[in-house]
Amino acid sequence: MRTRTLPAAVTVLVATSLALAGCAPAAESGGSESGGGEPGGTLIVYTNSNSDGRGEWVTAQAKEAGIDIEIVGLGGADLANRIVAEKNNPVGDVVFGLNNMFFETLKSEEAITAYEPAWAGEVDEAAGDPDDGVYWPLVEQAIVTVYDTNTVDAADVPDSVADLWNEDKYKGRYEVNTVLGQATPQLILAGLLSDYEDEDGDLGISDKGWNQVKGYFQNGSPAVEGTDLYARLSRGDVDYGAIPSSGIASRDAEYGTVTGVVGADDGVPYVTEQISVITGTKKETAAQEFIDWFGSSEVQGEFAQEFSSYPVNTVAREQALPAVVELMESLPKQELDFALIRENISGWVEKTELEYLP
Amino acid sequence: MRSPYRAMLRSPLVIVVSVAVVWFIASFLVFPNVNLLVTTFFPGGQFSGRSVEKLLSSERAMTSLWHSLLLAITLSITVNVVGIFIVLVTKYFEIRGARVLFLGYATTLIYGGIVLAAGYNFIYGRYGFITAAVQNVFPDIDPNWFSGYFAVVIVMTFATTTNHMLFLSSALAKIDYQTIEAARNMGASTGRILWRIVLPALRPMIFAVTVLTFLIGLGALTAPIVLGGTDFQTIAPMILTFSKSSSSRDLAALLAIILGLATIIVLAVMNRVEKSGVYFSVAKVATPLQKQRIRNPLAAVVVNVVSWLLFVVYAAPVLLIVMFSFLDSTAVITGTIALSDFTLANYGTVLGTPAVLRPFIVSVVYSALASLIVVGGLLFVARVIQKYRNRFTTTLEYLLHIPWILPTILIALALIMSFDKPSPLVGGAVLTGTTVILLVAYIVVKVPFTLRLLKAGFASIPDSLEDAARILGAKSLFTFRRVLFPLVLPTAAAITALNFNSLLDDYDAAVFLYHPLYEPLGIAIKASTEGENNLDSMSITFVYTVLLMIIMAITMYLVYGRSAQLRTRKAHGRRTRGIRVAQIPTRAPVGHAPDERR
Repeated sequence: MRTRTLPAAVTVLVATSLALAGCAPAAESGGSESGGGEPGGTLIVYTNSNSDGRGEWVTAQAKEAGIDIEIVGLGGADLANRIVAEKNNPVGDVVFGLNNMFFETLKSEEAITAYEPAWAGEVDEAAGDPDDGVYWPLVEQAIVTVYDTNTVDAADVPDSVADLWNEDKYKGRYEVNTVLGQATPQLILAGLLSDYEDEDGDLGISDKGWNQVKGYFQNGSPAVEGTDLYARLSRGDVDYGAIPSSGIASRDAEYGTVTGVVGADDGVPYVTEQISVITGTKKETAAQEFIDWFGSSEVQGEFAQEFSSYPVNTVAREQALPAVVELMESLPKQELDFALIRENISGWVEKTELEYLP
Repeated sequence: MRSPYRAMLRSPLVIVVSVAVVWFIASFLVFPNVNLLVTTFFPGGQFSGRSVEKLLSSERAMTSLWHSLLLAITLSITVNVVGIFIVLVTKYFEIRGARVLFLGYATTLIYGGIVLAAGYNFIYGRYGFITAAVQNVFPDIDPNWFSGYFAVVIVMTFATTTNHMLFLSSALAKIDYQTIEAARNMGASTGRILWRIVLPALRPMIFAVTVLTFLIGLGALTAPIVLGGTDFQTIAPMILTFSKSSSSRDLAALLAIILGLATIIVLAVMNRVEKSGVYFSVAKVATPLQKQRIRNPLAAVVVNVVSWLLFVVYAAPVLLIVMFSFLDSTAVITGTIALSDFTLANYGTVLGTPAVLRPFIVSVVYSALASLIVVGGLLFVARVIQKYRNRFTTTLEYLLHIPWILPTILIALALIMSFDKPSPLVGGAVLTGTTVILLVAYIVVKVPFTLRLLKAGFASIPDSLEDAARILGAKSLFTFRRVLFPLVLPTAAAITALNFNSLLDDYDAAVFLYHPLYEPLGIAIKASTEGENNLDSMSITFVYTVLLMIIMAITMYLVYGRSAQLRTRKAHGRRTRGIRVAQIPTRAPVGHAPDERR
């Protein structure tokens, strides 16, 4: 008798999980080899650009255009790792949203395949992969150093970003992001080092360049996990910090700040989000159709209006919000050699992580 | 004396279990991870020792590594002190309101990670209200007082007593009360009984939870990030960064292996101590434990005050999180909370998202399946390993701890890369890109924890029970089902619940392995809290935490609360109906009869 009553709870749990498994949409059979699987069916779209409702928007718009997609949204570094790890048996069909650095990695791992989209003529080829045309540019972002003009006196603002770590009065007053596995901090690092190329230096960078990195991290105030830069700006923890340009407008609205941008001698680093077909997909035609649709001036234009992005597509750019265009045009672009960065970035990150982080 | 292999071969059940576990270890523990480590350390077929060199020359890496070790050692002590204390006041001593205290202490069962660290930060941190209150009295106090080693140890000590609450409590309940009564009759004081009878009886379980605590300390990630400041950073964030970069992966693997070795050493020491010190009682009749009164009035007051202080420390962050989930995020950040700031908007955001329920269902199914499979399977394995001690089972035991050595991210990557083509190990199937692979990963990562605790659970069952059943003609499966299983059930149920709870919001494994059509909760939470324009991410995390707390509390009640009731019923039956073989209580540590196996 006693043993029959077994763990009543365990039985309940089994029953519940079975029941739930039953309710879960019945894609178990076809689903088990979807993605790179059969040619028909849902297109699996990998992206890191699905937050703030972008994923839902793209899915809905694509459906209207007759393309069935499922978004797999992951952080940049995780997504790139996943695509490379899966390259012998790809699950995704298309990838978009990662920056040039990650796309260079995917390209060198042969995880993505060249395709010339219908809108190739409307974008600046140099923003993508001018040599081989493996990936194509969608939107541009600048990584800018900002401050709140309400609290920081214009006279105190440094002329150049580099003053922040070279002048004592800014010590501890600017935020540095130390999570180097993420895309933005990596790009900031690349931007710091790119001006100090030196074939004889460690990892192709002169000692002077490494001293910049050292100063940057030692004098900065490390970002606080879970606390937004603007929250820290408004309570006076720090005065300056770096942020992708597209995040400024919503923060000003939320925190009542009026953002100012610190200038830079060599311009600010730009990231360009790209799109490409994943190598080995069994839905190559559908993947190409999606690229033709998503990168078109019409869709990119609507996307720009909806999410204040700055499209690379010159036709779509006319529809971008005036404030966005004004900001982006006021920021000089730092010349970055992404092939060189791609080759060295993991070494740079490693060295920084081991030697320079606070 | 070691058990001869022949005894093992005599039982068909043992043979089946052995074959199954060898296959599992070979396919899912050894093959993928060796595969990954070979490609990591032998790029292009040549051994590369650069990682050793790099690490040794990095001051930061060495300091962080030392911090992790220091934290693990500190926690092994502090968590035991607090953990044993809370178990004693809720289950051993007669304290008014013990049930309420228990609920307060049990809050760590249902939350952790970033939310926990954030909760503490909101109380004690720079902008926390305790800090503000103290500043009113002592304006000169450093607002950053709650940071560094001290803060991390405090937070993690209170956050990781979960295992004590579950497993030590259940071990305590099995103590033969007659031994305590006898000691008291002979004039032993409360303290002496505690020290000489109760605590020694709990030793196997204390060792098991100490290993777990040590491991938690080594792997500490969020508490040091949030509260450690620049002075006390641990190695886990560095491992995380390095495992995400293919060219630095050797550094991540090496660091993980160093931590793994430390764990193995602790494990081996604990195994030795456990082996040399375990004694079984010959008592065949046991009386259930009765709560003890603290006779010294001063001691009683002190214990009561400390208990309730701890209660406040434990309960405050949870209450705060629940409150914050109803608050406007700016109010939380600025710390000025007015009645008008209370809102349901956060819940609206989370529950209003289309298909919000789906990730919950996906995660519940995955977690339930994984935790049931892992506990069900390891019940047999743990018994075999615990009963037959020879080179074969010792090897199995250590191999089953592989998932503790490598970080989840590397285990996940190893699985993808090893099963992306048809593999004879799994019947020629391709697992990458299927729904199965995440389940496999979940099972794999939960193996060591489950094995440790199940083994400790079995350690308290005397062999004589099984022998008696065999002499009475019971087959091995029957004996297992009717005699052994009921005795480890409370432990097994608690492990199942804990595994389930910890897998629910997993992110590390899911991020690489989840099937596009089955998005689990961890991914959904991350997606909804990320984003450049998402300023309410903390509030949304709080909402998810509250929802998770509800699921987890239900699980704990269903699995643990129910089985506790079952146990009470049994204990009751024992008193009224006399004793059956299977109900002979485990062991009372009178320390007379040595383990008959040695």
